[in-house]
Amino acid sequence: MNEKIRVDNLTFYYGDKPAIKNISLSVRENSVLALIGPSGCGKSTFIRCLNRMNDIIPNTRTEGDILIDNESITGNRYDITGLRRRVGMVFQKSNPFPKSIYENIAYGLKINGLKNRYEIESIVEQSLKSTALWDEVKDRLNESAMGLSGGQQQRLCIARTIAVKPEIILMDEPASALDPISTQKIEELIQDLKAKYTIVIVTHNMQQAARVSDYTAFFYIGDLIELNSTDVIFTKPDLEMTENYITGKFG
Amino acid sequence: MATHFEQELENVTIKVFKMADLAIEAVTKSVEALKTSDMNLAKKVIEQDTALDTLEKEIDEECIRILVTRQPAAVFLRLVLVILKSNTDLERIGDLSSNIAKECIRLSGKPTMKALVDIPRMASIAVEMIKDAFAAISEKDADRAREVIKRDDEIDELNLQVYRELFSYMIENPYTVSQALGLIMVAKSLERIGDHVTNIAERSIYYIEGKDIRHGAEQ
Repeated sequence: MNEKIRVDNLTFYYGDKPAIKNISLSVRENSVLALIGPSGCGKSTFIRCLNRMNDIIPNTRTEGDILIDNESITGNRYDITGLRRRVGMVFQKSNPFPKSIYENIAYGLKINGLKNRYEIESIVEQSLKSTALWDEVKDRLNESAMGLSGGQQQRLCIARTIAVKPEIILMDEPASALDPISTQKIEELIQDLKAKYTIVIVTHNMQQAARVSDYTAFFYIGDLIELNSTDVIFTKPDLEMTENYITGKFG
Repeated sequence: MATHFEQELENVTIKVFKMADLAIEAVTKSVEALKTSDMNLAKKVIEQDTALDTLEKEIDEECIRILVTRQPAAVFLRLVLVILKSNTDLERIGDLSSNIAKECIRLSGKPTMKALVDIPRMASIAVEMIKDAFAAISEKDADRAREVIKRDDEIDELNLQVYRELFSYMIENPYTVSQALGLIMVAKSLERIGDHVTNIAERSIYYIEGKDIRHGAEQ
């Protein structure tokens, strides 16, 4: 499988303080990488570097390089809007637009220049189908997205993300505010989506990391401690520190 | 201070060690009963097998509960798995000891064809193997577990020796057939006990080192 993302010696500073330190790793195409680690270890900072969401935070600085398909995305002249179309993001709290279900998905397509109504309708339907939401909302596409349940809203946000055909999807604790059934649906979805996309997911739920990911990276206070196949991490991690974290012995 | 989870693991570990003690007792007493033609001791072995059966169920239930409620990972997961699977082997060792005791009762009253030498030796090796396999688990000593696996060859060799010897008795004197076959069964049971202990030792290496060395993977 091809290397989709490569990170070389990435350090990210908030002011003078490095939040992640000298991180190097690569993510294979069509795989799921889970990032685990205690709060404040730099997981979210790390994934926000991958679509340069951190750029909007003042007084921050990045060192090192990030390459997607062997092309650096860190330069000042890099097309950030284009990058964010290629690298979609789903957040912890679902954040649908205060618009209709249909418009939530059509909006991204329209601002990307798509004008053909039938084409837009077709993509809206496909996106909702691939997030298993279609049957639940097909009769009320013009109703407000705010009327959906939390789990449905989160799946709508994922549908909105995949409608613009990204290559990579970043998920920052996408199921942490959802009930078990909605969580299960999101996890199922992640497994289905990796056939088409490369996924990086931050999660505090270790079992979720074990269930959905192919690779798991353990971060601790800004350092990447261990990255290994998920099977190895959860049965016999190479490092004692990883073992201590996943067995809850951390202190 | 141990967490509740660690306490649960310790409780179930203590139970499986208790089961190992009972298995050792069963093997020792069954062969002792055979050696001394002690019917009462043989009956006791058969009766006490229910204690192993009960513990097997309890340990299974506790392990299942830990898997469901704690979702253990890494070393804790491997510990639960080694307990869960060794549990079955220990229960089988209990059954095989019971079979030896039943054979002892069946053979009672018949004249002894020869003094038993190799069968008690097989039993004492099996007992040492059980002790060492569980010492390997408690001390996380994989080398000790590897030694246990090697010793299984001694039991296999003795089993063949017993078979050859009893076979020659049967050829010489057909009246010994019934008794010789009984002793061959006993030796076979001890050989099977050695195999079960080998399973436990192999799994203890999985617990300690995370390596699956079964089926000659380490040779």
